[in-house]
Amino acid sequence: MSRLLHRPGSVDEALALLAERPEARLLAGGATLVAMRNAGLVDASAYVALDGIAELRGIEQLPDGGLRIGAMTRHRETATCGLLRDSLEVVRRAASMIANPVVRNMGTMGGSVANADPGADYPAALVCVDVELELAGTEGRRRVPAAAFVQDWYETALEPGEILTAIFLPPPRTGRSTYRKLARVSGDYAIASCAMALTGGQGDEEIAVAIGGCGPGPLRDVGAEAALRGRLDDPGALAALGEALVALADPIDDVRASADYRLRVIPRLVRATLDDLRSERRAA
Amino acid sequence: MSEILERVAGGVGQGVAKRENPEKVNGRALYIADLYRPGMLHGAILASPHAHARIRGYDVSAALAAPGVVAVLTGDDVGDGRMGAFIKDEHALAKGKTLYVGEPVAAVAAETEEQARAACRLIRVDYEELPAVLSPEEGLAPDAPILHEGLAGYFKVFDAGSEGNIASRSIFSEGDVDSAWAECDLIVEDEFTTQPQAHLAIEPCGALAEMDAAGRVTLWSANQSVFRVQANVCESLSLPMSRLRCLTPHVGGGFGNKMEPHIQPITVALAMKAGRPVKLILSREEDFEMVRARHPFRIRMRTGVKKDGTFVARECEALVDCGAFADDSPGVLGYALLMARGPYRFPHAKSHGRLIYTNKLRFGAYRGFGNPQVTFAGEQQIDEIARRLEIDPIALRRRNMVGAGEPWFLGQTIASNGLPECLDAVEAASGWKDGPKAAAAPGKRRGRGLAVTAHISGLLGTGAIVRMLEDGSIVLNTGATDIGQGSDTILSQMCAEALKVPLDRVSVASPDTDGSPYNWGTTASRVTYTTGRAVVAAAGEVERKIKEQASEMLECAVEDLELRPGGRVGVAGADKELPFAAISARAHWAVGGPIVGTNTLVFEQATHDPKRGVALGLPFPRIGVYSFGAMVVDVEVDEASGQVKVVEAWSAVDAGRAINPLLVEVQLEGAFVQGMGFALVEEMVWDGPRLANPSLMDYKIPTSRDVPAALHSIIVEAPEPGGPFGAKGVGEIGINPVAAAIANAVFEATGARQRHLPMTPERVLDGLLAHDAEDRS
Amino acid sequence: MSDHVETFEIAVNGQRRRAAVEADATLLTWLRDGLQATGTKRGCNQGVCGSCTVMIDGWPQRACLSLAAACEGREVRTVEGYGDDAVMRTLQRRFAEGGAVQCGFCTSGMLISARRLLADSPRPDEAEVRAALSGNLCRCTGYKKIVDAVLLAAEELAP
Repeated sequence: MSRLLHRPGSVDEALALLAERPEARLLAGGATLVAMRNAGLVDASAYVALDGIAELRGIEQLPDGGLRIGAMTRHRETATCGLLRDSLEVVRRAASMIANPVVRNMGTMGGSVANADPGADYPAALVCVDVELELAGTEGRRRVPAAAFVQDWYETALEPGEILTAIFLPPPRTGRSTYRKLARVSGDYAIASCAMALTGGQGDEEIAVAIGGCGPGPLRDVGAEAALRGRLDDPGALAALGEALVALADPIDDVRASADYRLRVIPRLVRATLDDLRSERRAA
Repeated sequence: MSEILERVAGGVGQGVAKRENPEKVNGRALYIADLYRPGMLHGAILASPHAHARIRGYDVSAALAAPGVVAVLTGDDVGDGRMGAFIKDEHALAKGKTLYVGEPVAAVAAETEEQARAACRLIRVDYEELPAVLSPEEGLAPDAPILHEGLAGYFKVFDAGSEGNIASRSIFSEGDVDSAWAECDLIVEDEFTTQPQAHLAIEPCGALAEMDAAGRVTLWSANQSVFRVQANVCESLSLPMSRLRCLTPHVGGGFGNKMEPHIQPITVALAMKAGRPVKLILSREEDFEMVRARHPFRIRMRTGVKKDGTFVARECEALVDCGAFADDSPGVLGYALLMARGPYRFPHAKSHGRLIYTNKLRFGAYRGFGNPQVTFAGEQQIDEIARRLEIDPIALRRRNMVGAGEPWFLGQTIASNGLPECLDAVEAASGWKDGPKAAAAPGKRRGRGLAVTAHISGLLGTGAIVRMLEDGSIVLNTGATDIGQGSDTILSQMCAEALKVPLDRVSVASPDTDGSPYNWGTTASRVTYTTGRAVVAAAGEVERKIKEQASEMLECAVEDLELRPGGRVGVAGADKELPFAAISARAHWAVGGPIVGTNTLVFEQATHDPKRGVALGLPFPRIGVYSFGAMVVDVEVDEASGQVKVVEAWSAVDAGRAINPLLVEVQLEGAFVQGMGFALVEEMVWDGPRLANPSLMDYKIPTSRDVPAALHSIIVEAPEPGGPFGAKGVGEIGINPVAAAIANAVFEATGARQRHLPMTPERVLDGLLAHDAEDRS
Repeated sequence: MSDHVETFEIAVNGQRRRAAVEADATLLTWLRDGLQATGTKRGCNQGVCGSCTVMIDGWPQRACLSLAAACEGREVRTVEGYGDDAVMRTLQRRFAEGGAVQCGFCTSGMLISARRLLADSPRPDEAEVRAALSGNLCRCTGYKKIVDAVLLAAEELAP
């Protein structure tokens, strides 16, 4: 079989290649695809490398204060980007906890998000901050809200022939945010993770919480969050949020942890993450 | 031990750099995967997809026709020879039956690795599946399928008591445990389980074999013993040993995985069939699934004491999963039972156990060799007793520990014992009575735990040849494989010290079954002591011959002569002296013959004194010479998740004499981290008959961020009278107590005992919540 | 039955080398089998163990996860390619003398990661060193003497 590596210079060129060779695999950072190839799980006849496409690179601030992160942005860049502050800090922190520095030099946000590994770090952070994902096809481009992107285990809203091109973040809101990850060792996939943002003034604080690692996609309940507005220090109210998230959870037993443990740990993780943010505020 | 007036450069007691490090830091050290031979082919293995099945036949036609393929090997191509360290139950390739998922069933040699692997997938094997045995309990059931139908006829090196699926059984006792319980004021009884752990040496297993025109084979492989490789390959392929020469490249770690054979017999058979050299390197997944792992243990332990804390009785019963082939397992069972009493005086002690064949990969030698498992059980029971009697855990141990001059379990006299000093050292260094240094942060709980251990240093056969070259330089040949732990350097340091030559005048020959004296292997913490003894004795013979020559050349009595640093011999109290070069020149060219010193030995101290106790199924009739260790750890438990972090640890070890203190420290530090992985994180998980996590994505070991920043190694020296410069082994002692010390610390932090490894966040959280609930009620 | 072979140039250790490999051959395979630059190791082929870590355009990356053909036009440096680079020489010496090398299989990758760290942070603290090396697994040393060696090298280079 004749294997080919293509290196298109534009999104349109890449889309045309995919249309022409539907069996071709998109190569982003290689962290997942080449590992699968090495393990014999993928035997692609063609690779379409995306690293030659300028518009897919980099993090830029938009006129409305929001951010556009190109799909080929490496985790290292995201992890050190000063534009990701306040309510968006959670995305920066999540990036900094992916794997290890070497893999962060290679892996990309687009590659990671498109792969939709339930134990990955970006999904919860991106859902927490309400990003929109831009998908490009031969018919044009469309945007999908983060919460709707993951549709089932390892399945996303990406249609065959589409490429994830950018991640759009709303402008940062004043406040604090963080990402807390429970993993067996440094750099492992998460057993469970909590992305949390606190915004708004004293007495009227709003919380946004997304849980990772406990289902095909991140868990979030905006209704339960709204009920907590201004009442974050009420343990009963916080517990209700924890229970709401547990109700949405669909964890599995795997070698990292049992489903049962994940369910039990969700409310504890929420409480502990809030404690982390409170400590940071006190220390500041 | 005599005074050394002038220091020998690079001699005993100095933390010199290992001699091969320049190669390693420049990327120039060659490991098995880095070797290339002219005309070399690449090998690949077809693994069994079934846990238990008869093999009815093979169709290799498609594989033979595949691109680049030169040879295909199946069980039909290898004879009936069986190998095995204790029970010879294993063929080079599955023959007639397959006994675990991942077992090598066929192999291919082709021009490229990719072609060889692709061709393997084209081999058709006709299997008849059989019901599988997936646990020791299943293996013991009356109607259990039998794995080794020919078990009764297999050669066994000791009285194993094999029958059915029982590979071996061992029973050791002193005193009368059954009656002794009545004398006890307090008895603790628990059941513990420990999990299979993967060695995970960063280098996967591999071999390269080449047959010459006369039919003689040269085999390089990642190994811990060129002699075990030779024996296993020749036994399984029915070759006379003179037809196989085994060599070693640099080895990327072993920890027990490379002590007994992996794919060497297959590689040799492939090379012989192909008529060209074959290199076969396992993938990481194959290394997980195909080779070996640490034995899971089920331990029932009972310890009884008087109310003043005097130890009375201990009973340990172990049920051990053997996996599909016996490998080193009977030794692991026997050794665990020998160590189960711990370094304590118990007038009554009994340890017994059974090793059961199951349809999983073989379990085998892994640093600690059963000791970490029984120590996890025993040291928690001692702590539990201390707690209930309200006696300090260190004080309780001091009161009952066995001392120098006293016997180990079954009767061997302990000649040197630094355990009291080890306990003193960790007590002082950790500030034991004050508890963990920092108070727990919000949301965390802290705890401190202690454990002690012992381990052997002397076992089986070894030798040394020390030759003086024409210019007075020295060549040392011991046949001991340096797997990175530094034995080449340590043994050279001993040789340099013995002859008072600078270390850089001593070179070390690489192990070669043609030229090296027999060495059982780099395992069992034995090389420093056992091979060291041979080195010192061989150097002693060289010293004698130097002095004989010198006495003639200087016209004096041999007794008047002394060796002097720098490679000289002279008349004591006078200036008259000669350099070794002059001695050696005379020996080579004129009188006496080139100077060679040799020594071989088999460790001789009996394990069992029949007057002291009873031993049935003792796999090692002569094993001993004890090192000792004590460890304190401070842990922090996260209340939200139950995750345990080791914050600080102190590991003190009685090394007898630290030949190279730097290398002793590295052993302690590396053993600690490997033990921490065993205690907290690592577990090979089976999903029915197959391994669920045979990859580094799913099986995790500690990274640089997971280890305590503060890890303190403390060297204690209680010289062993018969040891080389007093030295004993240190390779395994540092891993034995880790899980127990951490478990004891977790108990202090959470109030809950952890009896099952690994201590995952789930288990610890369960314990913490249950204990808090009890506290409230 | 031939596979399409990509031909291209990659700079390896300061020299332009011509590669002729299949489109999906990894950089690791080409370095080792093609160039016989065996200092870079294959420990897992999944990008986890770190023994294949090499410098590509100045950044440590996994050679086992890089397609050789996708490295066209890039600068690759392996542990064998640092010549008289003072930082690398100091790291190598500190590793060799400080007990940071046991079996040595992780050493090449560790040195590449450490080299980048010292470029970014000439006097890192211990936590930074541990973080920088967290993608390189070692089973022999327990990491302590490796971390110590990097700290000592840093102190020596930037006193």
